[in-house]
Amino acid sequence: MTPSLVNTLLMLPALLLLAIVFAWPLLDSAWLSTQASSVLTGLSPIANHGANWQRLLGDTRFWQDAAVTLRFALVSVGLELLLGLAMALLLHRPGRGRGWLRALTLLPWALPTTVLALGWRWIYNDPYGPLNAILRAFGAAPYGFLTTPASTWLFTVLADVWKTTPFVALLLLAGLQSIPAELEESLVLEGASPGQILRRLTLPLLKPWISLALLFRLAQALGVFDLVQVLTRVGPAGSTESLALYAYLNAMRFLDFGYSATLVIATFLLLVVLTVLGWLLLRRRALEPSR
Amino acid sequence: MRGLLLLWSLAPLAWQLYTSLVTPEALVSGSAGATGSFWTLENYRQVWLADPPIWRYLLNSAVVGAASTALTLALAVPCAYGLQRQGGRLRWAVSLALLATAIFPTVLLFLALLQLARTLGLANNLLALSLPYAALCLPLAVLLLRAAFAELPPDLEDAARLEGLNLPQRLRHVLLPLLAPSLASTAILVFLFSWNEYPIALTWISRPELLTLPPAIARLAGSSLFTVPYGAFAAATVLGSLPLLLLVLIFQRSIVSGLTQGAIKG
Repeated sequence: MTPSLVNTLLMLPALLLLAIVFAWPLLDSAWLSTQASSVLTGLSPIANHGANWQRLLGDTRFWQDAAVTLRFALVSVGLELLLGLAMALLLHRPGRGRGWLRALTLLPWALPTTVLALGWRWIYNDPYGPLNAILRAFGAAPYGFLTTPASTWLFTVLADVWKTTPFVALLLLAGLQSIPAELEESLVLEGASPGQILRRLTLPLLKPWISLALLFRLAQALGVFDLVQVLTRVGPAGSTESLALYAYLNAMRFLDFGYSATLVIATFLLLVVLTVLGWLLLRRRALEPSR
Repeated sequence: MRGLLLLWSLAPLAWQLYTSLVTPEALVSGSAGATGSFWTLENYRQVWLADPPIWRYLLNSAVVGAASTALTLALAVPCAYGLQRQGGRLRWAVSLALLATAIFPTVLLFLALLQLARTLGLANNLLALSLPYAALCLPLAVLLLRAAFAELPPDLEDAARLEGLNLPQRLRHVLLPLLAPSLASTAILVFLFSWNEYPIALTWISRPELLTLPPAIARLAGSSLFTVPYGAFAAATVLGSLPLLLLVLIFQRSIVSGLTQGAIKG
């Protein structure tokens, strides 16, 4: 056997499982999106010649959910990158107990989202939650954090930022560790201020890691499900209904598998377009000048 | 600054702990009520004796976590080794596929995987859950382990080959012992993932006594939308977080270095 054949055989079991769990579901959902498969058809698929896709285009709930999801992803990922960078710089600084600090800041990311979402529901509770207790201590009236569409959306973003910023920070920390300390020292000798070092040295060298974190978080945020499903459900006036949640509700609540598959594929296409677009923009802007 | 960071990260968790340990009257009024007690273990007693009890979910999650970790490592080690040795187009294509699957949001797979589980009779089977879980963890595991294989001196394996060791022997006696730290951090990350995974567990498992922790907690939340027993919830969240808390604190070094090293060299 040639080495190349041995290598291929070694990779084969893992690649097969990946194909079954990633590629097959996408193909299957793409096919199912061209079928009527709901309670009306006795849950067996019948070709309906693009009727699902036609319905999707005229479905205002779909368009609203797409806007909610997109806004959620862009705002929360943007905040996570900013906060994650600050956090990474802080975790990178030498000092006593740095290992413990890193482990403790990582906790929100490591614990189950559903568990933490339930925790946040209690924190936002009106009138007994701790946030309202703080408001009361300052003499303010209790506030319904999860009652109006705008504030529900905002505080869902906050919970997501709290949960996932540690992951972004960890990736950026990896980037910071790859920057040779001598480079920073030489800039310090030249009399550069911390702000100048950050702009001229750290950020340019960190760009590949920022891009990686951005791509990863953007893809995950566009599929947001766990958090909203437990924290707010669809939210007041559908303000926190993500595309993934709508697809889930169609399958498990309305038993319309054909339309659920259509939503899954539509979300997937949105995801591909956005990540490829983001990737191209980052490549042009960030990677070429540094070569 | 560090204090602020700790406050931001830990205050919401500390609040859960506090909520789980006080009586409902104390929670609402901030002082001991008519019964005269402030602290209580009643919330823990309640979730521990519930039907099904919380330890059942913890046990289920531990079983799924262990099975997923074993399966992932068994598939990822040979794949990472082959990928590291392989050159040319195949290596490029596999690496790209791994990267694409690594960032893929898994919730988009739930519908087709649910049908697969029904067709193959895998629903309501804890060990079967480790199949999708292993697949979802494989991209990251292979990328981390490939980076670790790349770190080993190439002469080492050649020397072992000259000694007459075949591939499984070389892996078992020479290469894997040297990869122990990377294997450990990969295993921990896989375990974390399976402990936390929600959409697939939610759709594959319907029998209450087989639920893993995340859908069990979510079911608690959904069962009583208006009269919410937050004390009992908090006790459940504390107990559900405790195993991971210990894992992260004990293995903090290998988690952080595993992720950062993998990201640097991957």
